[in-house]
Amino acid sequence: MVQTRKLKDGSRQVILNSTQYEGITRVLSELANKTKASAILFADMSGQLISQRGNTDNMNTTVLSALAASDFAATSEMAKLVGEEAKFKLLFHEGEKRNVYLSNVGEAFFLVVVFDVSVTLGLIRIYTKKAIEDLNGILDDDSGAPAEDEKLIDSDFSSLLGDALDDTFK
Amino acid sequence: MFINWALQEINLKIVYYGPGMSGKTTNLEYIHSKLDPSLTGDLVSLKTKEDRTIFFDFMQIEVGKIKGKKPKFNLYTVPGQVYYASSRKVILNGVDGIVFVADSQPHRMEANIETLLDLESNLKADGQSLESFPWAIQYNKRDLPGVESLDVLQKRLNFFNVPSFEGVAVKGDGVFSTLKSVINLVVQNVQNQL
Repeated sequence: MVQTRKLKDGSRQVILNSTQYEGITRVLSELANKTKASAILFADMSGQLISQRGNTDNMNTTVLSALAASDFAATSEMAKLVGEEAKFKLLFHEGEKRNVYLSNVGEAFFLVVVFDVSVTLGLIRIYTKKAIEDLNGILDDDSGAPAEDEKLIDSDFSSLLGDALDDTFK
Repeated sequence: MFINWALQEINLKIVYYGPGMSGKTTNLEYIHSKLDPSLTGDLVSLKTKEDRTIFFDFMQIEVGKIKGKKPKFNLYTVPGQVYYASSRKVILNGVDGIVFVADSQPHRMEANIETLLDLESNLKADGQSLESFPWAIQYNKRDLPGVESLDVLQKRLNFFNVPSFEGVAVKGDGVFSTLKSVINLVVQNVQNQL
């Protein structure tokens, strides 16, 4: 399982280890190869982009992830209003040149597939479904953990961060 | 907070909360205008044609590497108008720290209080509470005539005695100090618990 812990204040910390990250990136690469999708993003429901593949150079994928997460959040509220008890599992946006297919991966993550209208939706659906199974497997497998003993944030870090912020916010 | 060990990235989500027209978007616009473009991404605003935020504003900022780690800050605002309650709730998903932007004008006091209560009830729904959550208050619009005294604002809004700042967000006063204070609170909070 992805390491998630709840801090005393109630906020949530999600930690992805290197094995999981590499596994996710591998699945995205395979999906990109098989579907010829223009871009594939994997992100968490808070809007945090985790990994991306495809031709994303001219795409602001950080913002795309934030918007896609909100898309999910908005439609799950919509689901409640129309009497759908579960959340909507997938969202599809159809354009003239490009389509976007969004699907959740477990409760906490989702996948965004951007593809040309020349690619059939059926193909995207089939390969995305397989990719989601693989992603779930990777996220469930914590054998790559002992999430590095190293302290991520120590007192040194916070004082250096303070200096960096002073510098940035001049 | 999202930590990616492979990339050594630490991602924090900071949300600007407050009543309608208190200056949340203005805070982000100021930050965006002042930071080096290499450290900040686009500022995305989902607004109505009357310039009210309908869903959120979003911007990511970086400060370079610190001890090999790359902290990134994702800043969001929520729409202040009362009827966008469900938008506010969903944007709080995964939040690490909150800046509450209060409007210093006396006739907005009730709106400030109502929005704080709305924030508390949204946090509660997710097992959190203002009592222990990292947050700070910015009393904005201090340059307007006839604003409420700091004393009164503190008494009525700052019941948990969190860090507070006077702000004139259009000119940038208090903008960076408020953000820095919240980031510090979040980091201290994590540090104490690791």
